[in-house]
Amino acid sequence: MNNIRIFFSKTGRAVYISHLDLYRLFQRAVKRCKLPVWETQGFNPHVYITFALPLALGTEGLRESLDTRLTEELSFNEVRERLNAVLPGGIRVLDVAEPVYKNTDIEKSEYEIEISCDEAKLTEFFEQEKIITEKKTKRGIAEIDLKPVIEIAERRDGFIKMLLPSGTETNIGPNLVFDAFERFSGSEIASLKISRTDVYCKNGENFR
Amino acid sequence: MYKEKLDKILLKVQKPSRYIGGELNSIEKNPADVTMRFAFCFPDTYDIGMSHLGMKILYSLINSVPEYWCERVFMPLPDMEEQMRKNDILLYGLESLEPIKDSDFIGFTLQYELSFTNILAMLDLAGLPVFSKDRPDLTPIICAGGPCVCNAEPIADFVDLCILGEGEEVNLELMRLLEQCKKEGCTKHEFLVRAAQIEGIYVPSLYKVEYNADNTIASITPTEGAPATVRKRIIRDFDKIYYPETFVVPFSEIVHDRAVVEVLRGCIRGCRFCQAGYLYRPFREKSVDTIEKETISLCESTGYDEVSLSSLSTSDYSEIERLLDRLTSYTDGERINLALPSMRIDRFSDELLQKIKSVRKSGLTFAPEAGTQRLRDVINKNITEKNVLDSCRIAFEGGYTSVKLYFMLGLPTETLEDMDGIKDLCEKIIDLYYTIPNRPKGKSVQISVSLSTFIPKPFTPFEFEPQPTEDVIDERQKYILSIINSRKVNISWSRYPITVLEAALARGDRRLSEVIYTAWKKGCKLDGWNEYYRFDLWQEAFRECGIDMAFYVNRRREYDEIMPWSHMDILVSRDFLIRENKRAHEEVPTKNCREQCAGCGVNKCIGGNCFE
Repeated sequence: MNNIRIFFSKTGRAVYISHLDLYRLFQRAVKRCKLPVWETQGFNPHVYITFALPLALGTEGLRESLDTRLTEELSFNEVRERLNAVLPGGIRVLDVAEPVYKNTDIEKSEYEIEISCDEAKLTEFFEQEKIITEKKTKRGIAEIDLKPVIEIAERRDGFIKMLLPSGTETNIGPNLVFDAFERFSGSEIASLKISRTDVYCKNGENFR
Repeated sequence: MYKEKLDKILLKVQKPSRYIGGELNSIEKNPADVTMRFAFCFPDTYDIGMSHLGMKILYSLINSVPEYWCERVFMPLPDMEEQMRKNDILLYGLESLEPIKDSDFIGFTLQYELSFTNILAMLDLAGLPVFSKDRPDLTPIICAGGPCVCNAEPIADFVDLCILGEGEEVNLELMRLLEQCKKEGCTKHEFLVRAAQIEGIYVPSLYKVEYNADNTIASITPTEGAPATVRKRIIRDFDKIYYPETFVVPFSEIVHDRAVVEVLRGCIRGCRFCQAGYLYRPFREKSVDTIEKETISLCESTGYDEVSLSSLSTSDYSEIERLLDRLTSYTDGERINLALPSMRIDRFSDELLQKIKSVRKSGLTFAPEAGTQRLRDVINKNITEKNVLDSCRIAFEGGYTSVKLYFMLGLPTETLEDMDGIKDLCEKIIDLYYTIPNRPKGKSVQISVSLSTFIPKPFTPFEFEPQPTEDVIDERQKYILSIINSRKVNISWSRYPITVLEAALARGDRRLSEVIYTAWKKGCKLDGWNEYYRFDLWQEAFRECGIDMAFYVNRRREYDEIMPWSHMDILVSRDFLIRENKRAHEEVPTKNCREQCAGCGVNKCIGGNCFE
C-alpha cells in the first residue's frame, strides 16, 4: 500500500465549499474515477482521505494538500489525470507525490490578501504594541496577542503578503486578524480576498 | 452576472455553497449560443428542492437541447434574502448567476400547497410584478407544473399558464412555440391563446368563472377557443421515457443526498385519500434492463454511495425480486446502499428484507393509515392487521427493534373506536416483540406513531368530503394521547393550523389568489417551515378578504357541484370517483388494478387495458 500526497487548488466558486463538504467531494470523486483507495475498516467503512490543514470558508487555496493510500500501484500522473477528469470546477489537482514531511512538521502558512480599506488605519493597527483579540479554543474563549505571530512579508496599497502560524499546535487564520482590525477601526472592510499560497515546515522548507 | 457582488455577501450567510452554483454536472452554456432560457424554480430552499426528482429530470431534458438552457432557482432563506435586497441582487439562476427576469420562461414546480406564497416571494425577489395582468411583455412567461396544478385556481392570478401532467414532452413543445412566437413578434396574449391549444396547457386567464349566491361555482367558461376541459399529459412508453444520465451533485448535504431511479409511475392501489394514486395513473413500469442501466449510469457519474428506487409503491413492481437480484449484484460489489423507501407491508417478505438489510440497515416504516379493519376498508387501504403483524415479525426476527407507523386522523366515518384500534395495534406489536426468541437482549421495542390529519384532496373519491373541524381533530388527538400510555410508543402529530390551510389551498377557487396575495404582503412565506409559519397572519388575510376558510374546508360537497377544478381532466372520470365515494360509505373495498379493473377511465385514454 502506498501513501500518496495530493496537492490541489481550491478557487472560484469552490471557495464556498466547507471543510466537511470537501471531504465528501473527494470521496465521491475517488468513486467516480475508480481510484483504488484504501477504505478504513470498521462498522461504517469510508474512504481514507486526510487533509493537512483545514482552509477557512471563503479563502482560496493555491496549494492545499491531502493524504490518501492506494491499494494498487498507479503512477502519480495517472492519479492526477483521473481525478482532474471528474472534479468540479474550482478544484484542480496540481501534482501528486510521495509524502516527505509529516503534518506535525507544519509551522506556518503564507497568505496573499487583496484588501480595500483605510490604509492608514491598517498601518496603525499593525504598528500597535500589542494586538489583543479573542480566540475560540477547545477550552473556551482565550485572549491572545497577535502581534508576535503576524509576519508581514510584503505590503503595498491594497495588498498584503502575510505569514501566520499553522499546524497541529497553533492555528491563526487571516480572518482572525481582519476581524480584529474591523473592531479596531470600527468600520467594515469594503472588500477582502484571501488566498493561501503556500505552507511551510519548521525547518523552513515548503511542506512537501 | 452577480459573481462579484455575491463574493461580498456569501460569507455572511449560512451554508453559502447552495447560493453559488458550479456543482459537479451543473450545466453552463454560452448565453450567445442559446435561443431559449428556462429558469426552473423550486419554491422552497435548495436543500429541499435539490432532492426533488422531477426537477432533475426536466432540468436535464431541457438542457439536452443544445440551444435551450435550463437553470436552477431556489427560495433563499431570510438571511440570504436580506443580503440580496441590501445589495441590489435580484433572484438569479445558479448556472449563469444572472437575473431570472431576463429568461424566456420562469417555471415553478408545485409539490405542496404551502409553497404558494414562495411563488410570490420569488417573483418579487426577481424584480417582477406578482400578478400576471401586471406583466404585459411576452417574456418571461411564468408557468407552473407539478401535482398542485390539478387545481391551480388559487394561484390563477399569478401564473400565465399551467402544465397539467407529465412534462417530458410538453415542456419542449411549449418552448418551441414561444421561440416561434418571439420570431413572429407576437404579444403575450397571442402566445397564450396559441399555447392553450397544446394538450395539457391550461391558461387560467382564458376561463371565466361565475359564482352562485351561495358562493359555489355556477359556471366555468372557456374563451378564445381554449378547450372546455384541459387534459393531463402522459408519456405512453414509460420504458423509453427520457431519464437523466447524471445528476447535479451538491456541495453541501441536502435532504435526500443520493442517486434516484424511478422504477414505475402510477399506482395500482386506489387508496381513497391519496391524490397521487389518481393523478399519476396509468400504472407504467420500466424494464429491469432500463432500471439497471440508469442505476449504473447515475452511480458512476455522481459517485453517490446510495441509490434509492423511487415510485409510489416499489413493491408493486411486477418483477421486484428479479430487479433486486440484478441491482444488488451491482450495488453490493460497489458498496452502494440500495434504499427502498416505498414498500407495501402486504408484500413484505423475508427475502425482500434480507435485500434491504444486505448493505446497511435503514429504518422501517409501515402505513396502516387507520386503526381498524372497518376504517381501512373505508379508505381502501387493503392491508389487514395480520399483514402488519407478519411484517413486524419478519422485521423483529431480522434484528430490527423499532418500527414507525403512519396513521391519519379525521378520516370519513371515523369514530373513537378507530382510535382504540391504533392503541390495540401498538399493544399487539409490543407483545409480538417479546415473543421473538432471538430478539436483541436487553433492548426494548420502540414504536413511533405518526398521526397526520386527513386532507380531502381534489381528484380523489374523498374530494366531496369535509375535513373535520378543529374541535373534532383536537378531541381525537387528546383521546389517543390519553389511552396510549406506554413508554415504548412515541406519538407525534401534525398541527391543525397547518393542515387546515393546506386543505383550503388545495380545494380553493381563484378567489383565494387575493388571500394568498394579502397573506404574502403581511409577511407570510416559507409556510412549510414551522419556524416561519404564521397562521395568525393567514387568518387575518382570510378575514380581510371576506373569505371563510370553512367554506372550502369543512363543507360536504354534492356529487353534482361544479368544483373549482372541474375543467381539468386527469383521465380519471368523475363517475368513478363518485362510485368509489359511495363504496367508501358502504365500507366496501375495491380490488387493486392488477386484480380487477375498477373502470376509472384512464384505459380509454391509452387505448386498451392497463395490464395484459
